[in-house]
Amino acid sequence: MAVPRENWSSRTGFILAAVGSAIGLGNVWRFPYICYQNGGGAFLIPYFFALFTCGFPLLMVEFAMGKRARGGAPQAFQAIRPFMSWAGWLACLCAFIIVTYYCSIMAWSWDYIWYSVKLAWGADADGFFKGQVLNLTSGPGVLGGVQVPILIGIVLTWAAILAILWKGIGSVAKVVMLTVPLPVLCLVILAIRGLTLPGAVDGVTYYLQPDFRKLADPRVWLAAYGQILFSLSLGQAVLLAYASYLPKDADIANNAFMTGFANCGFSFFAGFAVFSALGFLAYQVGVPVQDVVKSGPDLAFITYPTIISQLPFWAPFFGAVFFLMLLTLGIDSAFALVEGFATPLKDATGVRHIKVVVWLCIIGLAVGIIYVTRGGYHWLDIVDHYISDYGLVTIALAECVTVGWIFGSGRFRREINEISEIAIGRWWDVCIVVVTPLVLGYILISSLVKGILEPYGGYPAWANWVGGWGMMIVAILIAVFLASRYNRKEVG
Amino acid sequence: MPLSAWLMLIFGCVVLYGGFIWCLLIAGRKRRSSGQLKSTV
Repeated sequence: MAVPRENWSSRTGFILAAVGSAIGLGNVWRFPYICYQNGGGAFLIPYFFALFTCGFPLLMVEFAMGKRARGGAPQAFQAIRPFMSWAGWLACLCAFIIVTYYCSIMAWSWDYIWYSVKLAWGADADGFFKGQVLNLTSGPGVLGGVQVPILIGIVLTWAAILAILWKGIGSVAKVVMLTVPLPVLCLVILAIRGLTLPGAVDGVTYYLQPDFRKLADPRVWLAAYGQILFSLSLGQAVLLAYASYLPKDADIANNAFMTGFANCGFSFFAGFAVFSALGFLAYQVGVPVQDVVKSGPDLAFITYPTIISQLPFWAPFFGAVFFLMLLTLGIDSAFALVEGFATPLKDATGVRHIKVVVWLCIIGLAVGIIYVTRGGYHWLDIVDHYISDYGLVTIALAECVTVGWIFGSGRFRREINEISEIAIGRWWDVCIVVVTPLVLGYILISSLVKGILEPYGGYPAWANWVGGWGMMIVAILIAVFLASRYNRKEVG
Repeated sequence: MPLSAWLMLIFGCVVLYGGFIWCLLIAGRKRRSSGQLKSTV
């Protein structure tokens, strides 16, 4: 007898899970920097434009595709056109590749919570991170040995993912009640601490002071679209999988709006915590704020620890709060990425959910070992670049083509409107059929041209081939194979 | 902080947090009226 499909126990559970998947490390270490770099407060104009013309429409597409197919990403594409299911499998594979290196960043966070207790980085956070924690080799060609503290962190992370996904979507709905509010609380604590420090106002001014001349630069608008696309977990199979557990009468449009607003609201707020702290650091060191601004892992594991060391009191506490925030931000995204692959595998093969999850966790941990080696950071950088710039953009483009051009945007919109609390107008059709595909197509082609002309990041060409082009080609071939293998089976 | 930065701060808050609250209100209204009302954008 067929087992009935699980449903979300509450709407709050689904929205928190979707928000938790969308809100990740990039909201803290990428958005504030992108905003500052692209016109400060003026960046909000292209950012909101991208949110309304690309973010919300694609969120609605993913929610509606997953819900109508009652299956993961491949089944959602298959329900519209079977020959497009390769894009769904590619999304699953990209999600899985992302989680293998994402867990290593979380492993650093585990370690840094411990290091915070004694402020182990001392006066040289840069040397501590690259020398002692990563023990970084000269390039991707030298892997070196495994860094045991990071290995322990990665094992803890995969164990947490397994425990959370053990009972399927039911346990996810319970866990997100803690893991989504907790980083928000941590961020509020850090923002209050940051804003009460000397120099904080200067930092926030750098973050928000608008430079409207930048709006004439097309790269600023592309940066806004890029930020929206990568920040909302689009093209990663996650939201499709989560939406497949929605009950039949569940809303689409309003859930998409809430997810998008919550994600971008968190990013905007994170800017205050980050830039107030940067303003304090600039004040302490006696340099302009632009001299201390960083993004990515450098911000989280070098600049922020330096700031923590300079705090007048309770420095270990605020250090632990910061890295706990990173950890809880990451864990939602990590288990969502695994679930994004587990759901379609379970649906396609009929294997029990827990069995699929256990195997994915074992394989993910095994693959992730490469990122805990001394040369792992180089590979993380290469793989992340190719997955983000090519994989996710291709999948989002495939979603627009499948829904807007193959299925018909008007028909799809009417389906959404039938069950949604907010009826969307024809602007949505224009976004899905014209605006978003044009922008994504431009981003993809310009990235391809740039990537072909010069190897990424100054890494040797062979490393770009192994960790970049080669990996993407293999992922596409596996996606096509899985599509041909499982397309014959009944959807859902 | 200069006035222009304050204005962008208010702009960001109104769009993001105002938008989120607006969505919550619609969800609450729908729950109370069992789907009789529908907003359009």
